[in-house]
Amino acid sequence: MINDPAIDSLTRFLDLSVFRSGLILSNMANVDTPNYKARDINFLEELQRAGDGMDLASLTPVAHRVPGLIERPDGNNVNLERESLLLADTQMRFNTCVELLHDRFKMLSSAIHEGSGS
Amino acid sequence: MNLFGMLDVSGSALTAERQRAEVVTANMANAETTHTPEGGPYRRQLVVFRAQRLPQFGMFLAGMGRSASSGVRVEQVVADPRPPIERYQPGHPDADARGYVAYPAVDPVEETADLLGAVRAYELNASAVQATKTMIQTSLDLLK
Repeated sequence: MINDPAIDSLTRFLDLSVFRSGLILSNMANVDTPNYKARDINFLEELQRAGDGMDLASLTPVAHRVPGLIERPDGNNVNLERESLLLADTQMRFNTCVELLHDRFKMLSSAIHEGSGS
Repeated sequence: MNLFGMLDVSGSALTAERQRAEVVTANMANAETTHTPEGGPYRRQLVVFRAQRLPQFGMFLAGMGRSASSGVRVEQVVADPRPPIERYQPGHPDADARGYVAYPAVDPVEETADLLGAVRAYELNASAVQATKTMIQTSLDLLK
């Protein structure tokens, strides 16, 4: 199909954003679950890894426990402020990324229609 | 994990927190109940939450089985082992031979705090659903 590395990168960025949001929502869902430990991905590392290989298995992000969080007496270490801020942050990045991708597609569409509008 | 799967995660939390609020309100309602079908005073109930991996359609297609993110469910509802509170009321029909009536060990302050916690967690997850909905809506903009 259309070979545009920017579209590939943006798609990967969106995938990772969704994956991370899923983890944030899990952390939020388990805010009262005893012994639950908050999990997250290393976003930049995962994004860079995407550049190395393109097979499905190596592209599955690895979720790990978040270090340095204060554990409550029930063994749960979910920090709501952290999760809320991170969700807002991830959402904004997601929106930005969708806008950029949209822009790319519009450019392609413009090229297909010889610049005479979509 | 797809965007729609994220709704399931928050949804499981909404269900669990609502169940917790139901149990807490039952405790409050029965704070003075001395007579139950099982005999004896009402026993304070507690919910036990457990993280739960949600199976997802997309993940099965990719041969990965279960997703990395987990929802929550009420694993069990257990009775508080604290002994009942005894009050001296000789005229009461449930009074024992010494004239003491066993009342449930329900502390209104404790229950109120627990209820507030459940409501806050419910609200939190409701906003998370809202955030997910916005993300889905945004991704649909790509189609325009």
